Amino acid sequence: MSHSVLVCDDAIFMRTMISDILAQAGFEVVGEAETGVQAVDKYKQLKPDLVTMDIVMPDMGGIDAVREITKFDPDAKILMCSAMGQQALVVEAIQAGAKDFVVKPFQPSRVLEAVQRVLG
Amino acid sequence: MDLSQYAELFLAESREHLSACNQLLLEWERHPAAPEPVGGIFRAVHTVKGMAATMGYARVADLAHRMENLLDHLRRGAAGRRAGDDVLQLLFRATDALEKAIQVSAAGREQDADVAGIVAELDRAVQRFAPDTAPRHAPPSPPAPEVPALALGPGRRVRVTLRPEAPLKGPRALIVLKRAAGLGAVSQVQPQPAALEADEFEGQFSFWLAGPAPADLVVATLAAAGDVEEVRVDDDAAPVARAETGAPLESGKARHIRVDLRRLDALMDQIGELVTARGRLNQLAAERRDPTIDDLAILISRLSADLQTEIIQARMTPVWQVFDRFPRLVRDLARDLGKPVAFRVEGKEIELDRAILDELGDPLVHLLRNAVDHGLETPADRRRAGKKPEGEIVLAAVRERASVAISIADDGRGIDRARILARAQAEGLLDAHVETLSDDQLLRVLARPGFSTAAAVTSVSGRGVGIDVAMTKIRALGGTIDIRTEVGKGTTFVLRLPVTLAIVRALIAAVGRERYALPLTYVAETVEFGVVPITTVEGREAMVLRDRVVPLVHLRQLLGVNGDQPPARRPVIVIEMGERRTGLIVDGMLGQQEIVVKGFDAPRGTLPVFSGATIMGDGVPALILDAGGLL
Repeated sequence: MSHSVLVCDDAIFMRTMISDILAQAGFEVVGEAETGVQAVDKYKQLKPDLVTMDIVMPDMGGIDAVREITKFDPDAKILMCSAMGQQALVVEAIQAGAKDFVVKPFQPSRVLEAVQRVLG
Repeated sequence: MDLSQYAELFLAESREHLSACNQLLLEWERHPAAPEPVGGIFRAVHTVKGMAATMGYARVADLAHRMENLLDHLRRGAAGRRAGDDVLQLLFRATDALEKAIQVSAAGREQDADVAGIVAELDRAVQRFAPDTAPRHAPPSPPAPEVPALALGPGRRVRVTLRPEAPLKGPRALIVLKRAAGLGAVSQVQPQPAALEADEFEGQFSFWLAGPAPADLVVATLAAAGDVEEVRVDDDAAPVARAETGAPLESGKARHIRVDLRRLDALMDQIGELVTARGRLNQLAAERRDPTIDDLAILISRLSADLQTEIIQARMTPVWQVFDRFPRLVRDLARDLGKPVAFRVEGKEIELDRAILDELGDPLVHLLRNAVDHGLETPADRRRAGKKPEGEIVLAAVRERASVAISIADDGRGIDRARILARAQAEGLLDAHVETLSDDQLLRVLARPGFSTAAAVTSVSGRGVGIDVAMTKIRALGGTIDIRTEVGKGTTFVLRLPVTLAIVRALIAAVGRERYALPLTYVAETVEFGVVPITTVEGREAMVLRDRVVPLVHLRQLLGVNGDQPPARRPVIVIEMGERRTGLIVDGMLGQQEIVVKGFDAPRGTLPVFSGATIMGDGVPALILDAGGLL
């Protein structure tokens, strides 16, 4: 059975690209969220195997969303999507419970590697 | 991976974010102490940065990054910090530069994106903030297990080297440490965790790992943390592990699809063909009088009508996609002209066919410019007239029956009809005996190319140019423009546009051997020629219809149809646009039907009375009459 993924990013562009990369690799993108609040709600509702999480989003950022999700499910597998120069925020996200991160611009191979590590 | 397929999505979404930037900058300008706009702008710019970097547009990403730096300082600034006007103006300029850079980059000419100047300006601005808001460093350190050396239990030192090309080595090191903590207690991390988190190390770090975990397990576990080049455990035979790359995965299907606009256009064209074919089938069914064909024709009519509704719905786009850039435009113009303007947009959610909406931007810009530049008085003049110094402009969209009305209303000085009339008569545009100008006449005079550039008409100087352009465009879209104006109170332009371009209901009229289509939107009524009294007004034939004089046009004459005699009983189709009416005398009426509007390239010398062409049910083309050109 393919793994289910929740893709969280405020940009449709990014969500599309991540979803395409994952779908082409056989993952099932079961939901998308464009705010942190949506990410938390959809996680609770969909219980996906994996979450990709943007850091900067309106209406609760990605880091707070990681905190909320891991509070709900300490085993949640969350992959942070960050930009260069966000090391402090990525550190914060990992401390909050994120399992790994990928850095934009995304290369499909790196995204899939990270996903494998997280699901590992 | 092929990025070109994402270029349009990138462009479309970047535009939305830029539009949001502009809106928020305006809001910030109005409420300089409010904390919300800066956060929103930061997010928008940040998102654009990420997308641009992914597309490989380095200059766009760089500019966005510099903007983000400045915004970050502003965002983290002491509570209640007001953004100085110079900073706001810089951000406005930077947003414009970003928009340009995005456009040229998406057009494949990234080298033309000149961002150096604005980048330098942004950096200078950042430096001004630097002393009092130093870049914030890593958040509080993790509860790193810093156990004194003496208390160390059995274990060994683990040395990890990250790949030189690994991005964000600090966070990566943290992930390695977290994995290590799953094997045993971690202590004596070198360099210090704070330095690791801040990325202030060269990709090599070490720590003490307590516990009995065997060396190969340690190596395997840590090497799988990603971007790890090498893991060495104590003095062992230095096992080296390289991280595996992602295993191939089985293919699957996506749950979401997004559709290219060109697909929708192509689909619309095909539906057009289908509607034409349907017309032919209906005709055939009517000729054959065969109930089976009839039933099938009805079924296909219904199905294609549903399909048509669906596809038109898919093309509908809310007007805010075009309107949202206007607050910024009006603000810039108002600022340049020194006229404070309160600008309001209403009915943003009203939808129009994408093809129409895309063409609306320019005419609306012309009309808004006119409103600010010529419609509104200076604050001093307004005070003298007993008005509040701030002018008001309202851009509103309203859905009417089969059309959408978009109005641009200002509360300015209005247009002085007497002066326009005098000017028009002096230029020979109007007969000397005309005493007053109706709204329609006024509009026609104003829309004369070059008319109002005349110095004498100072109150509306320049108006003509914009109205001319706007009117041509709106007419080409099958729409109309009306004007209402009152001296001292203001001027309102109303544009009426069909909700969708491609398929319209039309009245089919016969003239000679040809058929002509007339969109029903403009048909007021039909009467029989000769039944109502005919008179002559200003040398033109006209009929009196319920106390109104309606000028008549013999389409036979106009279109140069000769040969056989016209039938004795002929209908007059009364077309109407705003207050203007004209009666078209045709040979006969062949009923109503839906027609698919096709643009056509009129040969030189064609009468300006056709707006397009269509294919009739029998496959023969027919021209579409342009009500605007006939009135």
